[in-house]
Amino acid sequence: MRIEKCWFCSSTIYTGHGIQFVRNDAKIFRFCRSKCHKNFKMKRNPRKVKWTKAYRRLHGKDMTQDSTFEFERKRNRPERYDRNLTENTLKAIKTIDKVRSRREAKHIERRKKGKKAQEMREAVKELEQSISLVKAPSVLKEDPSLTLPKIKVKVSQEQVENQPMEE
Amino acid sequence: MAAGLVSKWSRVGCSLLAGHCNSFSGLLSASHELGFNNFLSQQQRTFIQMRTVLKVVDNSGAKKVMCIQALKGKKGARLGDTIVASVKEAHPNGKVKKGKVVYGVVVRAAMQRGRCDGSEVKFDDNAVVLVDKQGQPIGTRVFGPVPHELRKKKHIKILTLAKHVA
Repeated sequence: MRIEKCWFCSSTIYTGHGIQFVRNDAKIFRFCRSKCHKNFKMKRNPRKVKWTKAYRRLHGKDMTQDSTFEFERKRNRPERYDRNLTENTLKAIKTIDKVRSRREAKHIERRKKGKKAQEMREAVKELEQSISLVKAPSVLKEDPSLTLPKIKVKVSQEQVENQPMEE
Repeated sequence: MAAGLVSKWSRVGCSLLAGHCNSFSGLLSASHELGFNNFLSQQQRTFIQMRTVLKVVDNSGAKKVMCIQALKGKKGARLGDTIVASVKEAHPNGKVKKGKVVYGVVVRAAMQRGRCDGSEVKFDDNAVVLVDKQGQPIGTRVFGPVPHELRKKKHIKILTLAKHVA
């Protein structure tokens, strides 16, 4: 008896549930319920279907790498029955599950909180660098330090000089 | 391989393949058929009864057989049952010839069969392994996956010949 994972949505399939489809190339597809099975028959790619774990992991909505996942790896070696081992394993399953769900919730929370601090910093930088695109004319008026100094030329003195020259 | 499969499936003009929208056939059918198939893809798979054409997956020489009688079961044969069949198509030099009446064990059925742990298994197509009256397979090789329901039905020889037991 083994608890499997649904091929489409990656949820657990307990005993007595679901359908197993064996393809002619001997690949076995397990489905948890007819919803997943029907989606498979429609040839939908689980990586594109929003409610599947495959989509969520791919698009960073759910946690992908964590040490708690190591405990759930499939092992093909049967263990000799040991009562203490079984008891400890059952206790461990509970605690690991709690830790993992806590971490997953935190991951989602962190994702939802948004990146306010980073956005503020980026906004300040952009303000410094690209302000010329927005404020050029008014800056020239208000800040005389940025403009070239104006030179005043007296026209009347030139006319007096020219008269004696013409004569 | 894909082209060969297409021709095989077009030859098998049985109703089971009408409106068939499975992962295997989808690769072979045209893309415009797919949109139409979405509505009709929820096909009810039933028993193997008289006139059902099955694929032969051993090297006995036959390629296709048509079921004449399901030996057990009022409605028809299922996964793991024996049937009486008539050879419809055969390799030119094989142990069985066309038109011969043979017994066969159903090793793959498109209709799901319940397992004792409560789950259900289904395969991609209907396939049969030819046996003699005592239940020993005529051929020496079996192709494709076979279910381990055969163990309970005492077809151990077929299980040992198979490369993959589902």
